[in-house]
Amino acid sequence: MDEVQMVREYYPEPAAAPAGEVGRLKALLAEPPRRSRPRLGWGLGGLVVVGAAATVAVTLVGGNTPVPGPVNLNGTGTVLAAAAKAEQQPMGRYWYSREVAGQSYIMRPKTGTYAVTGALGEMFSWSDVRPGAGGQVSSRDLPTRPLTERDAAQWRRAGSPSSFRVWSNDHYTTFTTKATSWQTGGIAPENTRFLDGRSVEDIQRLPTDQAKLTEMFLTHPRLKSKDPVQRIWAEKVQRRVTIDGKLAAVGGFLRNAPVQPKVRAGLMRALAAQPGIHEIGRATDPLGRAGVALASDDRAVTNADEYGVPKAELGTYRYRSVVIFDERTGAVLSSQDELTKPGGPYAEMKPGFVTYYAATLKAGWTDAKPQPPAGLPFD
Amino acid sequence: MTGEPSPRPADDFEGVADLYFAEIRRYGAKRLGPDAAADVAAQTFLEAFRQRRRYNPERGSVRTWLYGIATKVVGRHHRSESRALRMYARLSPDRDAEEHTERVDARVSAEGLRGELGAAIAALPRGQRDVLLLVALADLSHQEVATALGISYGTVGSRLNRARTRLRKALGGTNPMLTLEEQHG
Repeated sequence: MDEVQMVREYYPEPAAAPAGEVGRLKALLAEPPRRSRPRLGWGLGGLVVVGAAATVAVTLVGGNTPVPGPVNLNGTGTVLAAAAKAEQQPMGRYWYSREVAGQSYIMRPKTGTYAVTGALGEMFSWSDVRPGAGGQVSSRDLPTRPLTERDAAQWRRAGSPSSFRVWSNDHYTTFTTKATSWQTGGIAPENTRFLDGRSVEDIQRLPTDQAKLTEMFLTHPRLKSKDPVQRIWAEKVQRRVTIDGKLAAVGGFLRNAPVQPKVRAGLMRALAAQPGIHEIGRATDPLGRAGVALASDDRAVTNADEYGVPKAELGTYRYRSVVIFDERTGAVLSSQDELTKPGGPYAEMKPGFVTYYAATLKAGWTDAKPQPPAGLPFD
Repeated sequence: MTGEPSPRPADDFEGVADLYFAEIRRYGAKRLGPDAAADVAAQTFLEAFRQRRRYNPERGSVRTWLYGIATKVVGRHHRSESRALRMYARLSPDRDAEEHTERVDARVSAEGLRGELGAAIAALPRGQRDVLLLVALADLSHQEVATALGISYGTVGSRLNRARTRLRKALGGTNPMLTLEEQHG
């Protein structure tokens, strides 16, 4: 008998898991995540925004302007005014949305550091609000690209590489400049789920009252659950404990879900009234569009020195969650995480640097069955 | 593991959960104690679910992949692991507890050694402890441990050797379990 066997025998055999634990886990996995990336392809995710204002976006997207941080004027009332506009928007039979979402990764070649948007995907989704009708989601991966024009210049100095080896959470991964073709999945009504497992029909029955919506969306019973599976899902996956997580989750819901105009307005008011969420006035989204924004209090993130984590990724930074609305329609232009205090992997970046974003290219209500677009965004 | 091939995480994650949930939960229970077992298992599978499209069958089995994630999850609970190890030492009466002073000497010394073994495991650097426990508790091969932890094959061997040496030293250079077993036949 050697030391390994001694150790093996040191550990007592634990009791079996209570019945039902794995079942509850599987039920939770069937729900959509906080950040529905197209590449995940589970459930409808998607975007928002309404009509003409949003279509302008695509031409601005080229990364020709540095990603600006929000402008901190006194923003009191700006989002509430947008909520009043949201309330008056017409609705139709289908909600559709087209969004792009990606994560910022830092490249550190000798020629100079730059940021790229990787894990970049596009999603087109629609849902039919008639009972039992369901919806459809299409998604594709988009080419990884420099985040801003300044990043593009550094990328060219580095020899315009077409693949990007980056550290992603806990391992190296390589992104490329290839796009994939649309993958479309028809979605049965019972599988069309939005935040907290809500169906299209559930969403059509939501109240418009701010206090009721606060209770339903911002005071999450799962957070108080004794069941660790429920609690962890709310905390780690939906990030519903911290205020930035609440803002991001509800912002995502407003981008993704077929939310009726008065409910949308109620949720915007509920968010604006939350302690720790602030109206910050006019802001520019990652695609260069102007809107009015809510921002959360910021929060520290520390990348600990675990094995394998590259030195350049270690350390602490602070970020906040921001949601930018079109002030004319109340539609969400983008949700993003913004650096507030550089450090760790973002030590060389400036406050306002966008570490993650999901931006709506086009969205709205229509009576004609929506079709995914053919051309790529950013071209 | 032999027999039926595992379900692919990206295609049939529920199948993966059905097959491995109980085993990963046991590993979590052993490393962090029964109270944390459900947390470890849930966090492991939720993390695995998020990464399910990145699972690469050429790099190792689904089981190995899950143990790698579970070990990372355990690592975020550093303090609980020491608590669990102290608790296991007390599963038999503690040598220092007064109410047990009348027990026979051999028994008392066995219990004391349990405590020392637990303390020695808790005192290992994390990298060595992870390798040791993936071998001892999960029965992973050296190659599988290397894959699970993202380290080289050679590093697995050297960490395991260092861990064994430390345990031997901590226990006074003897193999106490072996000695006791011989004594009690």
